[in-house]
Amino acid sequence: MRVLAALPLVLVFLLPLAASLLFVLPDAVNAGALRELVAHPQFSGALRLSLFTGLASTALSLLAALAITFAAGGRNLAGRAGVFLAVPHLSLAIGLAFLIMPTGVVARLFALLAGWNAPPQWVTTQDPWGFSLIVALVLKETPFLVWAFASLLNRDDLRRQFEGQQAVARSLGHGPASTFLRILLPQLLPRAAGPLIAVLAYGLTVVDMALVIGPTQPPVLAQLVWTDINDADPAVSARGGAGVVVLGLVVALVVAASALAAVMFKKVRQRFYGAAPRPGRGMPRGLAALWPAFLAIYAAAVLIMIVQSLSGHWPFPQRLPDVVTWKAWSHLAADPAPLLTSLALALASAAAALAACVAWLEWTPARADRVLAPAAVLVLCLPALLLALGEYRLFLALGVTGSAAALFLAHLLPVTAYVFLLLAGPYRAFDPRWQATAHGLRARRLPFLLRIKWPMLKAPLLSAAAIGFAVSVVQFVPAQLAAAGRFATLPMEAVTLSSGGNRALIATYGLALMALPLAGFLLASRLSRPRWSTP
Amino acid sequence: MLNRRTFLATSAASLILPVAARAADWPAIEAEARGQTVYFNAWAGSDTINAYIAWAAGEAKARHGITVEHVKITDTAEVVKRVRDEVAAGKQDGSVDLVWINGENFRTMKTEKLLFGPFSESLPNYALVDVAGKPTTRQDFAESVDGLEAPWGMAQLTFFADGAKVAQPPRSMADLIVFAKEHPGRVTYPAPPDFHGTTFLKQVLLETAPDVAQLAKAADGMAITPAWQAMLDDLHPHLWREGKQFPKSQADITNMVADGELLIGLTFNPNEPANLVAAGTMPATTIAWQHAKGTIGNTHFVAIPVNAKARAAAQVFANFLLSPEAQARKNDIKVWGDPTVLAVEKLPAELQAAFTGSAAPGSVSLPGPTLLEPHASWVPLLEKDWLSRYGKG
Repeated sequence: MRVLAALPLVLVFLLPLAASLLFVLPDAVNAGALRELVAHPQFSGALRLSLFTGLASTALSLLAALAITFAAGGRNLAGRAGVFLAVPHLSLAIGLAFLIMPTGVVARLFALLAGWNAPPQWVTTQDPWGFSLIVALVLKETPFLVWAFASLLNRDDLRRQFEGQQAVARSLGHGPASTFLRILLPQLLPRAAGPLIAVLAYGLTVVDMALVIGPTQPPVLAQLVWTDINDADPAVSARGGAGVVVLGLVVALVVAASALAAVMFKKVRQRFYGAAPRPGRGMPRGLAALWPAFLAIYAAAVLIMIVQSLSGHWPFPQRLPDVVTWKAWSHLAADPAPLLTSLALALASAAAALAACVAWLEWTPARADRVLAPAAVLVLCLPALLLALGEYRLFLALGVTGSAAALFLAHLLPVTAYVFLLLAGPYRAFDPRWQATAHGLRARRLPFLLRIKWPMLKAPLLSAAAIGFAVSVVQFVPAQLAAAGRFATLPMEAVTLSSGGNRALIATYGLALMALPLAGFLLASRLSRPRWSTP
Repeated sequence: MLNRRTFLATSAASLILPVAARAADWPAIEAEARGQTVYFNAWAGSDTINAYIAWAAGEAKARHGITVEHVKITDTAEVVKRVRDEVAAGKQDGSVDLVWINGENFRTMKTEKLLFGPFSESLPNYALVDVAGKPTTRQDFAESVDGLEAPWGMAQLTFFADGAKVAQPPRSMADLIVFAKEHPGRVTYPAPPDFHGTTFLKQVLLETAPDVAQLAKAADGMAITPAWQAMLDDLHPHLWREGKQFPKSQADITNMVADGELLIGLTFNPNEPANLVAAGTMPATTIAWQHAKGTIGNTHFVAIPVNAKARAAAQVFANFLLSPEAQARKNDIKVWGDPTVLAVEKLPAELQAAFTGSAAPGSVSLPGPTLLEPHASWVPLLEKDWLSRYGKG
């Protein structure tokens, strides 16, 4: 049974992952291409920019998430943060760009007040320092970290432990801030290492957001590599392959350096933890406003996308468009194939990943996770480009590019990684006494699972499925390569249309891209309400 | 520079060739094509173009029993790469049956023997192509076409602006610099390797080259002229964001012109400004022009990869795209506005009528002669030099 239960994940996850990595190996040892890459006039600038935007966005997101978690004072933010998670990176970048670009909403408001006739020469989107990219990343990653912290704080086993410790700390005279920093923080951060590394890796290697809002001369390293990979010239394409490997190395080095820094600062931290208790004043007022501020920016970004999607000609500095039209939406309705393909892929991959992960977690011993968990973390931390390139070559060698199976597998890989990482914690932490009790009552395994265990784990199961669904919907790079033009999905369509610059269409597809995961999250949160709670 | 008359002499002889080469077994190809599916890989950033392709697909279905699937792509280089990878992996039933292509990508596919053919000159409708008046239908970026791609439409670098804001359009690169100095931050071009950005750089090359004839030959061992660098050095400080950042695409620039953030836009389709006026994106006061001494012009084509599965249907569809009816519809400003490759004056009178559109607002009012593309091998030189000089911010 154990082997049988482990088989699905081995077949659809571990094997393709290993094979994909194997297929990128030739790039790692292509010294000529590597030299070409280093000689690229934009290489050093792009690398600097990637390090800056990746590190700054991660640090700021972490600070903001901790501040928000602290300000929540024990309230469970997981549900609310879930809604933010549903907003794809690409959609947020599009909405944010509509807000801050020199012909955006903010500029129009200023124009109204100052009486401008021509758009200002603001350096907002595409600023050479990458500030707007950092803002976009912080907006997107902070809720993810808030959600990760909230999930940890509310995990059954941890919650009891933390509550006890906090009570002790209070009795020793620690104020709320002191308790948070000295008791919760040191226990939270190591447990949140996975999400933090994922945020860092994403910030260092993001392509789609950078394409919309990032600098161009030089661009971030991932964007440079993406352009190279797609070049028709084999030498340039090989340079891109080398770039993918370098990108992976950059992530590995930065993560290793961060871990090292955490160890080196141990002494400093210990001195801090051992300091005398501070009763502390109340919470700084600004902190409480942080979470609503995020909400407001998201709402504004979505609102402007809705307005843009309905607008025809909209000359500057008019506050409202000249023409309101459904043209962009009817475009989406006229060709629903990409929407339906994305929906089917997301449903199928989320369901398959959930089933495979539950099988693994239920029937294999916990120590088996020691193989799978690092593999899943690897998928999240490796640049999407690297895995996608390996997958593409694997499919090519198998002769399955452009098949539905290849497209499905390309979606399944990242979905499985997320579902597994989200589910493993709560599933393994399930109180074994329930099973012992059921066993004592002579209940067989399956009825126990169906009636007791899975219903009790309903919330984590559903939220893992919802996130898996969302992850599937936004896959662009691997899907594009695996589909070989035989299938179109929503993000492919969105990116293709965005090359034509039709803002109404871009906004419409940005919204459609957001609608699917959002629906998934709402459904999951509705279903995961305990049956016995009052509505 | 080659003009139309010198080309007429050389092409007159070759006009006979297509007739001789025309497939005697065209009905057999049409019969084989019936029921096949053509995966047509074509850039899909424009909804007017997508709508035209959808129309053509519908007609192909009705007339020839062919299913045409428009594979929407962002960059044709992706297709070149995909075909190369498939051929290298020994995949015979390739994922691409027909690709919209020209210039560098064509040259790459031709030299790597990734193309099926020659086929284009045996298409029945090829006899209508204006090979004499439009030499770029047989010389794609100074690379001989050799029947490996079928002409589809004509392009010429064209600039446009709102005439209410730009009274005196600059009709040379030197004039554009003067204009940029007078309107700092309101002019720019897309960063290469964007197609339009590269074309802008080539236009600068043509306007600064001491010997234009040199540019028609392969750039092996040649260097970029200091005059090219000097002109860009002169222009850049006055561009949008002081020439330190560049918009990603021509489409972005068009948006920025429509918004008033920029004053001058550029396009490869001389009818696009009129199309933008018809669509309500640009005002009716829009003007379009070409440089007085000419701007770069070329032809865009469709080609069949060597490992295409539905070769017969791909040929039948390429032939339909060349038909007077399909070409006239494409030429219509309200549909797409892409200039025809056919010799309209040689068509029967009733067919000619379909091509004569009255000058719509936004049509090119100050035309210039067509300049031939420099040889495709100049592009990597230009791009490399540009990146190292201006790509670092």
